[in-house]
Amino acid sequence: MTTLPLPEAPAVAAVTCPLCCFEYVPGGDSCREHGCPIALGGCATRHCPRCGYTMPDEERSAAARLVRRLFRPRPRHAVETLADLPAGAFGVVESIGGDPALQARLTGQGLAPGVALHVVQRAPTCVIEVSETTIALERRVARAIRLEQP
Amino acid sequence: MAEGAMAGTAGRAEAAARTPRRIVLLGNPNVGKSVLFNALTGLRATVSNYPGTTVEVYRGRLNGTGAEVVDSPGLNSLLPLSEDEQVTSDLVRSVRGEEGAVVVQVADAKNLRRALLITLQLGQLEVPTVLVLNMHDEAEARGIRLDLVGLEATLGIPVRTTVATRGLGLEGVTAALAAARPPRNHLPLPEEVAGPALALLTGRDAPPAAPPAFLARYHESLLAHADAIARRHATDGRTRGAHLSRRLGRLAIHPVWGWPILAAVLWALYEFVGVFGAGTLVDLVEEGIFHGYLNPWATALFSHVPWTFARDLVVGEYGLLTMGLSYGLAIVLPIVATFFTAFALLEDSGYLPRLAVMTDRVFRLMGLNGKAVLPMVLGLGCDTMATLTTRILPTRKERVLATLLLALGVPCSAQLGVILAMLAAVPFSAAAIWFAAVAGIMITVGWLAARVLPGERGDFVIELPPMRLPALSNVLSKTAARVEWYLKEALPLFLVGTLVLFVLDRLKLLDAITRAGEPIVTGVLGLPAEASAAFLIGFLRRDFAATRLFDMSRGGGLDVVQLVVAMVTITIFIPCIANVFMIAKERGWKTAGAMAAFIFPLAFAMGGLVRVVMLTLGFGGTP
Repeated sequence: MTTLPLPEAPAVAAVTCPLCCFEYVPGGDSCREHGCPIALGGCATRHCPRCGYTMPDEERSAAARLVRRLFRPRPRHAVETLADLPAGAFGVVESIGGDPALQARLTGQGLAPGVALHVVQRAPTCVIEVSETTIALERRVARAIRLEQP
Repeated sequence: MAEGAMAGTAGRAEAAARTPRRIVLLGNPNVGKSVLFNALTGLRATVSNYPGTTVEVYRGRLNGTGAEVVDSPGLNSLLPLSEDEQVTSDLVRSVRGEEGAVVVQVADAKNLRRALLITLQLGQLEVPTVLVLNMHDEAEARGIRLDLVGLEATLGIPVRTTVATRGLGLEGVTAALAAARPPRNHLPLPEEVAGPALALLTGRDAPPAAPPAFLARYHESLLAHADAIARRHATDGRTRGAHLSRRLGRLAIHPVWGWPILAAVLWALYEFVGVFGAGTLVDLVEEGIFHGYLNPWATALFSHVPWTFARDLVVGEYGLLTMGLSYGLAIVLPIVATFFTAFALLEDSGYLPRLAVMTDRVFRLMGLNGKAVLPMVLGLGCDTMATLTTRILPTRKERVLATLLLALGVPCSAQLGVILAMLAAVPFSAAAIWFAAVAGIMITVGWLAARVLPGERGDFVIELPPMRLPALSNVLSKTAARVEWYLKEALPLFLVGTLVLFVLDRLKLLDAITRAGEPIVTGVLGLPAEASAAFLIGFLRRDFAATRLFDMSRGGGLDVVQLVVAMVTITIFIPCIANVFMIAKERGWKTAGAMAAFIFPLAFAMGGLVRVVMLTLGFGGTP
């Protein structure tokens, strides 16, 4: 879940015109050559040299970058703790960390190494089922419960 | 057949001769312990706090034999980690040394593993025990098959099954009491764990301030044994189907559907307490009984009394009957009774822990966690009682924070009822200002205090019991106990408050106080000078003051701005003198004094601020 640095967009990435499917490299000197006055001030559009179809350059739009970041495929973490387990998944407890009081409380509720659990939901609070027991616990606690690797 | 398993055990004759005189019920939470208790004793229980604690212990007499039955709070382990567990631990230890005392462990037949953790501890303590597997019907419906004979042989104790809600299997439990014996104790516990754990269990070592690391290891090894026994004597059940209660339980904590359900619960609470209790019932008791009969009768009766002093003391403007008892019994009692009924319903339905799940985020803003919602909601009934409940919060910081917020902004049911009645008279926007002012000050103060106070927020872990239809008898008995507690607490103070007003009035001091309070009450708050008396008495009980203001407003003495300002001020006031004492008892006089010194000026400042805001918004003038 940590933010990874965005891959730097290559300076020259070819795009495909959505209208005529012509592949071209935006920017360059063609605009200036055509004598477009905006190009001098650093224009934020891209312009298909074949059909003339113009649209804002997504690479230069902060909003578009934000949207793309939201849809970026999440790097698949290995499931290490309960906090990594998605809703509906099952896991087996390997060990319980955290402070001794928490450990004593959780083991008293039947949550111990080797015990299988099922994640009911993750928001607003993580809720798990351990055989007949349903327990709600916050993320901080979920991170202290390490799971066996499948 | 279950008897047969016991026949071979040595010392049976001796056990049979020992008819128990005292029975301690214990078990995990939500296994139907109180229902079994009520079924065994027939609803003639008395509730008392365990000496020196807030933990409620129910006592009753066993049907037929008259042996004393004690119901202890639910627990997961006999290791005394919390106050509840300490009480149960003490009870179990008292059984240990007592002739004719036995433990009846109540367990959920579906969850044998967790129950056996406690059974094994009882074995270590060598306490005569009968194991009762309750909710046997649910286990059967789930396809769980229990080998009772084998379980009895392994544990060496009588094991019985019951369906307490339908009264099935109770005779079996009563009959098995004489055969109670200590569960077999042959645990090969790791050496470094067994010794210290036993020392804690038997009370040889005092419970540590911070639980040592071996406790978790101890529970783990117990669980491993419990698991082995459960697997040997009980078959696995089918996975749970989508029962209504299960679906409802999940919906109540659903990230989307949980909110409409929360809103519906609050609305139902308002309808029941605010509209039915504070409206219908109050009218019925006040108009019907007090104004209709009691007050005229008493006035007529006392008109024969020659001394004006005595007459006024009872039926005058500040009369003990016409003011003290009327306020206490006619206005406060119906509201408190309806609120505690609603609270007991919420409690027994299993909704409260789910409310904690939903509100966890809000409370984290204020340095607390979702568990704090329990004292906060109970505070809507009685802040003093709720101050005691803050003990369920794990760290000192959280307890201080919750206590402060309770004293600051959570109106108790009596006051809330009066406020709701007053709000009915003002436009919605004005009511919204009252709510925004109180909620705003609570969140701001909570947020700031959470940053100022040293210490940590505790981890949020809460067990979610299955949603159940509450049993009427349990709801009523809890309500009765709480209402009694409340009346014992509130009525004397209402009478004292009335008496103070009466004496001040007699000594012509009331006018002086009213004049002295004028700069603040009239100058800052813009209220009529007579409101000083209400605030003065608000130091005793703020609901009393609210009732007095309510009385004034009914006479048309207050306009919209004055109403809202008065309500905001009185809501932020410290709830009552009993609350101050309770804070002092729980947190020390220094904390109590600091809170009072902080809250009273804040209440007046907030009232003044609300007045300025409302006048600026143009609320003035409209009646």
